[in-house]
Amino acid sequence: MGENRIVEINSCIDRIPYAEIITPFDNDGLSLKGKILISFDELEKPLEFEVIIGPQYPFKSYDSESIKFMNNNLLEYNHVMGDGTICIHTSHSINLKNKIHIDFLSLKNWVIRYYINKDNDTHYEHLIVPDLPIDDSYYSFIFTDVSHEFKKGDYGLLKLSQINDGKLNEKLVSNFITQAFADQYGKEIATCNWSSNYKNYNKTSQGIFIFVEDSPSTYNRFLFQDWNQFDEQFTQDFLDFLHSTEKMFITKKLRDKLLPLFIGYKISESEIHWQVAMLKIGDFPIYGMNNGKVWQTALKEGIINWTKTRNSSYHYFFGRGTFCPKLAGKRILVIGVGAIGSCVARTLVKGGIKQIDLADYDIKEPENVSRSEYHFFTGITEKVHELGDGLSLLSPFVEVGHVNQKYFEFISKVLYKEPEAKKEFETFLNSYDLIFDCTTDNDLMYVLDSLTLKTDLINLSITNHAKDLVCSFSPNIYRFVTTQYSNILDNDIEDLYNPTGCWSPTFKASYNDIAVLIQYALKQINLTYEKGNSKNSFVLKTNSENGFEIKLEQY
Amino acid sequence: MATDKNEHLKEVLETNKMSHVDDLLDKYKEKRTKIKEALEANYKEKIYSPLNSGSYAKHTAVNIKFDLDLVAPFKKESFGTLEEMFDDVFDFISDKYGSEANVRKQKVSIGIEFFADADGDVISVDVVPGRELNKDQYNDDNKLNLYVNSKYGVIEEKAYMQTNIQAQINHIKNRENERKIIRLLKIWRTTNSEDYKSFFLELISIKAFDNEDISGSLWDKLRAVMEYIRDNVTLDNFTLVDPGNSGNNVADTLESWQKENLSTKMDNMIDRIEDNSDNIKIYFPINDDFKDDDEDKYGVKEGASTFSIPSRDQRFG
Repeated sequence: MGENRIVEINSCIDRIPYAEIITPFDNDGLSLKGKILISFDELEKPLEFEVIIGPQYPFKSYDSESIKFMNNNLLEYNHVMGDGTICIHTSHSINLKNKIHIDFLSLKNWVIRYYINKDNDTHYEHLIVPDLPIDDSYYSFIFTDVSHEFKKGDYGLLKLSQINDGKLNEKLVSNFITQAFADQYGKEIATCNWSSNYKNYNKTSQGIFIFVEDSPSTYNRFLFQDWNQFDEQFTQDFLDFLHSTEKMFITKKLRDKLLPLFIGYKISESEIHWQVAMLKIGDFPIYGMNNGKVWQTALKEGIINWTKTRNSSYHYFFGRGTFCPKLAGKRILVIGVGAIGSCVARTLVKGGIKQIDLADYDIKEPENVSRSEYHFFTGITEKVHELGDGLSLLSPFVEVGHVNQKYFEFISKVLYKEPEAKKEFETFLNSYDLIFDCTTDNDLMYVLDSLTLKTDLINLSITNHAKDLVCSFSPNIYRFVTTQYSNILDNDIEDLYNPTGCWSPTFKASYNDIAVLIQYALKQINLTYEKGNSKNSFVLKTNSENGFEIKLEQY
Repeated sequence: MATDKNEHLKEVLETNKMSHVDDLLDKYKEKRTKIKEALEANYKEKIYSPLNSGSYAKHTAVNIKFDLDLVAPFKKESFGTLEEMFDDVFDFISDKYGSEANVRKQKVSIGIEFFADADGDVISVDVVPGRELNKDQYNDDNKLNLYVNSKYGVIEEKAYMQTNIQAQINHIKNRENERKIIRLLKIWRTTNSEDYKSFFLELISIKAFDNEDISGSLWDKLRAVMEYIRDNVTLDNFTLVDPGNSGNNVADTLESWQKENLSTKMDNMIDRIEDNSDNIKIYFPINDDFKDDDEDKYGVKEGASTFSIPSRDQRFG
């Protein structure tokens, strides 16, 4: 580190009225290290901090400040990491002197708020988990809500499914989801609230759980690091269960395999969290102890191998943003899953929809991929199946169903005037809360419009080049849409794309051209439901003459 | 291509005239006469002569969708309560026509929708039972109390409302300009699947003419009425006095959110049509069944079926 920078930092800190340098800053590898005292009127005794300033300072790295204030004696206070580093997030500045002043002020504010006033934050922060590989690999466990209330001391077996492997810090990470909690004899007591698609995954892995209720931590912030810290939380019954379970797995020739132990505790009155520690079969942290009368299982010392454990309940999974509850809570049918329908379905699922059915007779060809929500890798396949699988990959909470397209392509068109068939068709469609017709099939649009539907029906289509999008709400779809296309919109049908080898011209537009309009339309639809506005049909008109513009025209 | 709004609206009115459906109307009238006779035969001295009412009587009917209304004026002593009157008339009509029509209780009337006849025509007649206010007074004042069967805007169900059908009919007499606008608004209402009541559209249009200087072309007048609705319907003190009963505020037949929606719809309609005159076709369509144009007998325009090339109305997605 250059001499000038060292001088500049020392002199800058020297000028901070509440800071005193007790060990001047000097090179420590690539960083600078020094010691300071913080003292001001409200502080009874000065506080000492070791300060490390990284070479990238005043820039941040990995979303963390490159200046560290450390004091191992402050671990009991909020926002102190395991190595004694005070956790500060401060304002951005590219000026070294400014940044030092900002960061020292943050430190002073931490001292006032958490050291002097001993404030507790209103939001819960997870315990600090040492994040290390085990036998050169990482493991992650994702759990979700169950409809079961655990009591202190409950323990038993867990059923797990392995999902995709990943990569983390150049190492393999094996990912698992919880499936079911069972008692010690293997009888299920609670299944996880995933969608049926996930529930049906093979439950090939097992684990053990214990609900200890109280946070297994020091200062309510640092997870226990040694097994013997669980002395008061693990009951004798559970320790004996650990012993018998280990024996059982050894009998099954699983010695040296890893087994996850889920330790559950309350993080609020109504919410529990699970944290997983990995046990090695044949090396459980237990031993047999003769108390003079009988042999008992006892805990022994040993470092705990914690792993990544995440709560993926619906509430957290979609916590960052969804469609409004009035839309997200609907049971939805999407008819026609081409460029528009597939994008609508995917956006709905990303927006938190839990029940969606798909209908389309078409198969996916390679040339569909570029502007629809399909993948090349899956080759030629039915659109509804590929899209359904894709939606399930996105959300573990969406139930995806397929509706026989013959219903829309043939039965409905032949029998829609026959009273019984019409009634049956209406009853079927009314079982949904919302239907998107993205087929561009004018005949189907007419048939659907002729039915008496209680459910909302929305028809979406675009003109060539995705110049305009037409969105029509029931019950006046057919006339509105046909009048738009026949009399109002400028639909260029000369400049079409003619795929080689077939005489079926299609429209020209890229994924971006189409998606931008669909997202806009869905935003408007969401707003309509959220505000309880009148369900007005609308047209989105684009204009590229002076920068790209979208104009909403409500009818 | 821009649309001449006035020419278009004239054609809309022309193609929606009742005179295009004389044969059908005769069937309606025949049914209504039979119902009238049946009511008189059944209720004998309890009933005054049933009275034709509704849009046809007021010359505001349009052919795209209509029904005929029949008011059944009962004498004061015929029924103990208005609810008994309503239920008795419903029971009688159900017994009499239940095998050939769907009979249902509506807000203040009993709807009779006859099953489709050999021509596929469905005839609808609404019977509105009413009872004179005081004994032997109907012939002098034409006033009736109606039973409100189900919630009618802010008027609760099982309440009653007083009205004077003859006064309502007289209210719109000799108002041809207003009638045109009312017909246009009813065409908008029907073709765009809106559910605003004819009586409401009728009164608000007349009030617009009474309160504003509405003149000029047909479009000018229609736009002025729509602007009046847009600007006034949501006002707190806005009322629409029933000419049959000054105590009835017909604006109350809409809840406040329905008024907000109506105001927004009027605003959107004006904006869209002024933006692009072709949009007038969305809101006020010509009735193609009675259009005088170059279509052949199958209703196919020349050039509509171009060889294997998508037509202009090809949608994409």
